[in-house]
Amino acid sequence: MTTTRRTLLLAGAALPLAGAAVAQQRTVTLGYQLPLTGEFSQYGERFRNSAIMALDAFNRSGRIPAQVNIVFEDTRSDPREAVAVARKFVDNRDIVAVLGDFSSSAAIQAGRVYAEAGMPQLSQTASHPDYVKISPWQFRNITTQAYEGPHVARWMAANGVKRVAVVSIQNDWGQSVVSNFADAFKATGGEVVATQMYNPGNREFRAVLTDIARQRPDAIYIGMFYEDGAAFLQQRRQLNIRAPVYGTSSMYEPKLIELAGPGAEGMYLSTSFMAESPEAHVKAYVEEYKRRFNSEPNMFSAQAFDAVNIMLEAIARAWPDVTRQRVRDELARTKDFPGVTGATTFDPETREPAKTLARMRIQDGKFTLIQN
Amino acid sequence: MRGANVSDRRFPPLAIALGAAIFVLVPLGLSLADSGYFFRLAIVTLIFSILALSMQLITGVAGLLSLGHAAIYGVGAYTAAILSTRLGLGPLLTIPLSGLVSGLLGIALALPTMRLVSIYFAVATLGLGEMIYVTLLNWVSFTEGPLGIGNIPPLRPLGIDLSGPLATYLFVAVITAIAAVIVHRCTHSYYGNALRAVREDDQCADAMGLNVVRLKIEVFAIACFLAGIAGALWAHTTGYVNPGDFRFAESILILAMVVVGGLGSVPGAIIGAALLLLLPEALRAVGEVRILMVGVVMFLCILFLPRGLFGEVSALSLARRQLGAAWQQDRGVGWR
Amino acid sequence: MFDRFDIFFVQQLVNGFSVGLVYALVAIGFTLIFGVLNVVNFAHGEIYMIGAYAGLMALIFLAPPWVALLLIVLAAGIVAGVLLERAAFKPFRRFRDEASLKSKAMRESTLLSSLAVSIIVREATEKIFGADMRPIPRAYANALQEPILIGELAVASGQLVILGAAIVMFLTLQFILFRTQIGLSIRAVAANPLGAQYVGVNVDRTVIATFAIGSGMGAVAGILIGLYQGTIFPAMGFAPGVKAFVAMVMGGLNSIPGAVICAIFLGVSEAVATEFFAQGWADLVAYLFLVLTLIFFPTGLFGAGRERV
Repeated sequence: MTTTRRTLLLAGAALPLAGAAVAQQRTVTLGYQLPLTGEFSQYGERFRNSAIMALDAFNRSGRIPAQVNIVFEDTRSDPREAVAVARKFVDNRDIVAVLGDFSSSAAIQAGRVYAEAGMPQLSQTASHPDYVKISPWQFRNITTQAYEGPHVARWMAANGVKRVAVVSIQNDWGQSVVSNFADAFKATGGEVVATQMYNPGNREFRAVLTDIARQRPDAIYIGMFYEDGAAFLQQRRQLNIRAPVYGTSSMYEPKLIELAGPGAEGMYLSTSFMAESPEAHVKAYVEEYKRRFNSEPNMFSAQAFDAVNIMLEAIARAWPDVTRQRVRDELARTKDFPGVTGATTFDPETREPAKTLARMRIQDGKFTLIQN
Repeated sequence: MRGANVSDRRFPPLAIALGAAIFVLVPLGLSLADSGYFFRLAIVTLIFSILALSMQLITGVAGLLSLGHAAIYGVGAYTAAILSTRLGLGPLLTIPLSGLVSGLLGIALALPTMRLVSIYFAVATLGLGEMIYVTLLNWVSFTEGPLGIGNIPPLRPLGIDLSGPLATYLFVAVITAIAAVIVHRCTHSYYGNALRAVREDDQCADAMGLNVVRLKIEVFAIACFLAGIAGALWAHTTGYVNPGDFRFAESILILAMVVVGGLGSVPGAIIGAALLLLLPEALRAVGEVRILMVGVVMFLCILFLPRGLFGEVSALSLARRQLGAAWQQDRGVGWR
Repeated sequence: MFDRFDIFFVQQLVNGFSVGLVYALVAIGFTLIFGVLNVVNFAHGEIYMIGAYAGLMALIFLAPPWVALLLIVLAAGIVAGVLLERAAFKPFRRFRDEASLKSKAMRESTLLSSLAVSIIVREATEKIFGADMRPIPRAYANALQEPILIGELAVASGQLVILGAAIVMFLTLQFILFRTQIGLSIRAVAANPLGAQYVGVNVDRTVIATFAIGSGMGAVAGILIGLYQGTIFPAMGFAPGVKAFVAMVMGGLNSIPGAVICAIFLGVSEAVATEFFAQGWADLVAYLFLVLTLIFFPTGLFGAGRERV
């Protein structure tokens, strides 16, 4: 932290002397706002790990004759701090683009600042439908539920599911999980027999499960993060509810199985990132991540890794004219970026990413790929 | 003699210093630094100063411990958000209307709960606050639920553009100053003395002929009005509101500002707000242990200054004065 | 409407009862400490969390038998409780006159000193162990998470353990309070700290003993609930802590049986509310009951009728 700060100060002091035209000792600086303290700090930790990996690789490659720096600022994913940090990044004229924040609400509140100041922002997780509508400066690298919901709905229909219950967290992402899935599932001729939204922080699902069980659904679709998901799966097993569970890609996390134990057995989920993928670049990423940080990468770390790489790619294309405006334009041109979460293309109009999803199932305590 | 004394007492040096700082030094310094970051911090500090001031009125002066203040503030923010995005009202209307809605809600909440005392009242406000939060979160058709309300227009009263940082700062500062004067007048007057009497011993105050319940409801309504105004300012300066911004932890933060600043003191509330909001930012250099450091500073503050930085009375002398009043052997304290 | 009252409804009552027991386990220690000091101990949730982490560490590194595990956790809770008392409460008893324990400003200071301690403890735990949920060694987790089917009803083994723990804790506490010397002094200090001092009760020692007992119970509750729910993380104490607080106040502050009954009532009302509303609104029902209770019983359901605290 302190070293980044110091190099940043040095770079800031050197810049007026050197002038923008001298490309030799230039430093390109990015901002990354993320939760490093508080209840979401585990996610921020993963984002930072991935960002450091991506950054090191980029700086080693020497693709541009300059070093890229990332200034990490903690926001606790708290909107009050997110806005302050956004102002801080905008003030710093060296920063050409920003990554983050984690939660949609923090990303949107910061996004309004970036929109006003003309700073490109690329979030690895903000899934709120309005996020990219703030201004042309907002981008995201996440499979939105507009794509994932219908995908899972078709998958269920293909597995012969007719009646489904949906349980989802009551936040902006959960809302989009429910609406996108429900519409698509009805279109396949199925019936959504129960919809339950639970308040964030609640991990007692027995009441919800009992209520669902009465409707005798063929399957349950859950939109939650893996910690809530683990509690849900466990309690489902304890209540002896047999209906199979389909999960959102946010549940793709090795710890889910550790936490839920036998309860996780048989769950279906789709994901755009697979740690066991045979593809070389995914393998390399997973191995390096494990080696450097002594933990397994998950969906979130992979999304951050790709987001940082997409950003660095845009900077490389913009070089030597690395301004906020140029970086934004180059970000918008991202096409078929080969990331660990699949190929990413930003729609030039809506700036929504398009991705591909793989289907998985938890079998014998392992995520296993289902061949379609 | 009387005139000189009154004017002396009306402008204590601390208040003058604080006023000068808010209106001259800070804007000057901020303009020189030309930093949106510092402007943002200053604006948020002012908004929370209003909240701390209103909390001061409830807790410091009237002695009612409220744990649901953030929800009242949230209702103000949502009122401003809904009025300005759906009805297109300008901030000159939305800000007072938000105060009014929050104030009326305060009266509605106070009517049934005012006969509760101390911790019972605190828990009732906690419950009401959580109920408001759950409503904001789940009443999707009206509040947009967890999606929050975005695109709230910035401050442009009567077509005058105050959305620039300095103008916004000064606008919020003027409202904060008005709030401080209101709270000061409520505190340093016969009215304030009556409130203190209620705080020290409500039965005694009742026996002296004060209408205790009415006083409490009035002061609660005034405080909720101010909290609603703070909410409207937050909505207009931030542009997006979300139920998660108005949770229990936020109420506790406001309470901590008042206690650290000093119960019963007007400048104390503002300084407490500044301390607890700026400390986490100032500690960014220490990295991820900064919130831990905030806890440590808060703990040391309370440990060494139990009456707060600018407490009206030291806790000890308050305790002495309460001797006899609070001491009742036959009240059956303890379990059965 | 009436088709709701089927086997699922009974299952819902069982669910609610077990949630209520979780709140009750936390509320027992919380109420005990409040009764003596007349101060809300905001750090009780952190004691609960410390108990869970201490137990988890013991499981990972020592893998002790169950009895030893509980003793380790109990010891950890007692140590944490005594330290907490030293750090956050003792300094405010330096004013020895009787009113300082009851003064408003003092109480609010102490309330926030325990809050500050709880922030420090929680942040430190996050720094050391990370903010995410800790996986529990399977052998132990399975013991408390196994489903048990009784006809069409399903309970988890952990629910039975928690029921047992609640009964044992409650009876132990009643035994300590009413059958032992230290219990006598705890009751004396709770009823009248100055009077207790006059008749030769060592108030300091009694307060420490109260914290030791209350925190020990909080810590054991933490590991049992943590294992049963499979959720051990730094902020785990917050939600049950708030509900325990609510239950204590509904019960009338000074009544441990009252707190237990209200905790169970809260749990059942939350579960049954899910039958009629979306889960998101069910929280509202519990708080609505709280407010209604206080409106009609301003000093709680089982309060001693003291008017000012």
